[in-house]
Amino acid sequence: MKIKNSHRLPGLFLKIFLLGGLNAFALWSVPVLIANDRFLYAAYVAISTLILDYIFLSSKFVAAKYIMPGVILLVAFQIYPAIYTGYIAFTNFSVGHEFNKQSAIDSIISNSLEPVGDDSILPMRLAKNPEGTLTLLIKESDGNLYAGTSQGIKKLPTNSWSADADGNIQSVQGFSFLSETEEAAALEQLSDYFVPGLEKNVKYRVADFTNVERITPTLRYDSQGDFVENILTGEKYRPNKNGSFVSEAGEELEPGWTARIGLKNLERVIGDERYRTPLVKVLIWTFIYPFLVVILTFFLGLFLALTINHPKIKVKKIYRILMIVPYAMPGVLSILTWKGMLNESYGIVNKLLPGTIPWLSDPWWAKVAVVLVQLWAGTPYMFLIATGAIQALSTEIVEASEVDGASPRQVFWNIKLPLVVIALTPLLIASYAYNFSNFGSIYLLTGGGPVMYDSGGVAGHTDILISYTYNLAFTAGKGRDYGLASAVSFINFLIVAVISIQAFRRSKQMENIN
Amino acid sequence: MSSALVVREKKMTFNKWLRVLAWRHAIALLAIAFALFPLIWMASASFDQLGKINTQSLIPQYRGLDNYRLLWENPDQPYWRWMRNSVLIASINAVVQLAIGATAAYALSRFRYRGRKTTLMTILIIQMFPQLLAVTAFYVILADLRESIPFMDFGNPIALLVIFAGGALGINAWMLKGFFDSIPSEIDESAKIDGASHGQIYVRIILPLALPMLSVVALLSFIGTMNEFLLTSVILGGNQDSITLAVGMRQFIETDFQENWGAFAAGALIATLPVMLLFIWLQRFVVSGLTAGSLKG
Repeated sequence: MKIKNSHRLPGLFLKIFLLGGLNAFALWSVPVLIANDRFLYAAYVAISTLILDYIFLSSKFVAAKYIMPGVILLVAFQIYPAIYTGYIAFTNFSVGHEFNKQSAIDSIISNSLEPVGDDSILPMRLAKNPEGTLTLLIKESDGNLYAGTSQGIKKLPTNSWSADADGNIQSVQGFSFLSETEEAAALEQLSDYFVPGLEKNVKYRVADFTNVERITPTLRYDSQGDFVENILTGEKYRPNKNGSFVSEAGEELEPGWTARIGLKNLERVIGDERYRTPLVKVLIWTFIYPFLVVILTFFLGLFLALTINHPKIKVKKIYRILMIVPYAMPGVLSILTWKGMLNESYGIVNKLLPGTIPWLSDPWWAKVAVVLVQLWAGTPYMFLIATGAIQALSTEIVEASEVDGASPRQVFWNIKLPLVVIALTPLLIASYAYNFSNFGSIYLLTGGGPVMYDSGGVAGHTDILISYTYNLAFTAGKGRDYGLASAVSFINFLIVAVISIQAFRRSKQMENIN
Repeated sequence: MSSALVVREKKMTFNKWLRVLAWRHAIALLAIAFALFPLIWMASASFDQLGKINTQSLIPQYRGLDNYRLLWENPDQPYWRWMRNSVLIASINAVVQLAIGATAAYALSRFRYRGRKTTLMTILIIQMFPQLLAVTAFYVILADLRESIPFMDFGNPIALLVIFAGGALGINAWMLKGFFDSIPSEIDESAKIDGASHGQIYVRIILPLALPMLSVVALLSFIGTMNEFLLTSVILGGNQDSITLAVGMRQFIETDFQENWGAFAAGALIATLPVMLLFIWLQRFVVSGLTAGSLKG
């Protein structure tokens, strides 16, 4: 078969198109990233682009052309996040400590603005000066009219303007007032518009379309001494190790900044009783839950596979298809359906059973519920792989042992079962690792609950590490402490690593690396 | 097989049938009842005009399609928008996953280069760490990037797709490499002698031969994305216009389990059936894909 060279052309176009797009993206995003102080990201985009350009424009690196795009994404969104999780675990990143120090100082100062004098609200007209620049015409309490922009302020001669009896500004020489539509258009600009005042530290801020407010910050930052000072009282707020300015009396200024706090998060989860007690309970359940699930689903699946796998059962295929239905259903929806079925007062399960079982509200029954639902959802997978393993059993061994006089019972217990278990061990470990972080199976059914009362409401009796992490980081009213969540997440990573090494050792996959 | 060689089976006595087969059928039927019950219950709830948990019975007293009509009419449950978001995100993701996974798998299967073993080891290790473990880091990364790169922001499906693309190599390359290995290399050697480039061999020989496996990987990726909850809710959760079916249906049912039960069931059934049928249709390949490389020996 001769393949014509003309087919290389579309490939070439595709290459030019993709490389061009990549370079355009890099040229646009790198300067923006640098301008926003995101140096690491800027460097990564720049270096990745250079590497890809080099690989694709040279004819030397054939394999790299196929692998490198995936690797670059892998490093950015799989490896880097894992490392970053470790880094965040050593910071106090949380609500109130989300930005860097300079941003925190800026917002502390701008939060401290307070009106100056009793008559701090002054009449104002929005206008354009002869050059067309937005100008605030401010009538100060001294009776004079001032024209101010964000750059500066100057007094207008008394004879250049007129006001009506109520003091409303009527006309000003050289300035034209903004129309209503122009005012509306300027709204966004005005929300953050300051005019320098007549005295030091005093500014005018736009209050509405016809008024300004005379304001002054009550706090100032001293960059030499690295402290924030209250201008009125002279009280000093100094930075502490937790990323906040604190006065000697212990008063803390908000917001703080993201600071590296070393091992404090780990100390908190290990040393602080309020975090340790729930964490230990969650940790124990995180180990037990996947263990129960794997053991129960495996033996049920194996049992069903052996039961159905009999030559005289003619409807085997139909049985098989019907049994894997739970595996084929979208998990989120089926778990939510289970949640309705297990509802304590209305659910069908309790209607069928004598008595009322508090499936989702009792610590023990909730554990039974998550295992039961996962038994329903996970058994088909085990059933499928067990069927596969049974069918793959070498018939020679079985026949040989039968010739040697082994009874069917002996063949099953001493030959078939051990072979199947050995063949499936890597998959069982993989399944353990999967259920170890099976967020949906817990969170969608019980939300981790019922709540552990000694955990400050953050942990629940069916929480596993990943759902506990989610609560610490994302559940309103419970968490928003990303640093602490990352510390827990980091522990999760370490445990999965240990399990994976075990799986790795036992698996045959190593042999395929050749 | 010629029929003359088949040993005539003796007809079973009823007693023997009872002893050997009856209990097997009984257990199978029991297991099937357990397996199908939620689906049947979901279907029953969806046709129940009353639409509430507490009044539901297996065969609804008042049957009708009101719950289905609500999928179009209820503004609290923009079902078709969620469905569209889910299908779009899941389809694009399936294509991206496949493109990245298959190209890498081709190189890993066919080229011998320095660093190949390291790449394979790395992929093997990394595939054991699901991306969702780093959920807090993804949150912080988007917070880092949102002001610089507009599409890397919360509520933007592109950000989610880019993040998923990072996992493509870890999830799919290994599985596909195993399958590509099973395609005899003599085929591409002879094409090479005929003057085909590595790109042509990939596109015109390997990919067509691997089509069944590719469709399984695409299907698994599609279902996986439809079902993904954690990262999707953290990244898209704040933007009601871009949330997926999984996130939307949970929000909807959690706001009022009792009242929304019927409409939830109708939506769940519509979303479940096509995925389920597709999966069952491809199940043979799915099993071989899931267990690739592990069941040998």
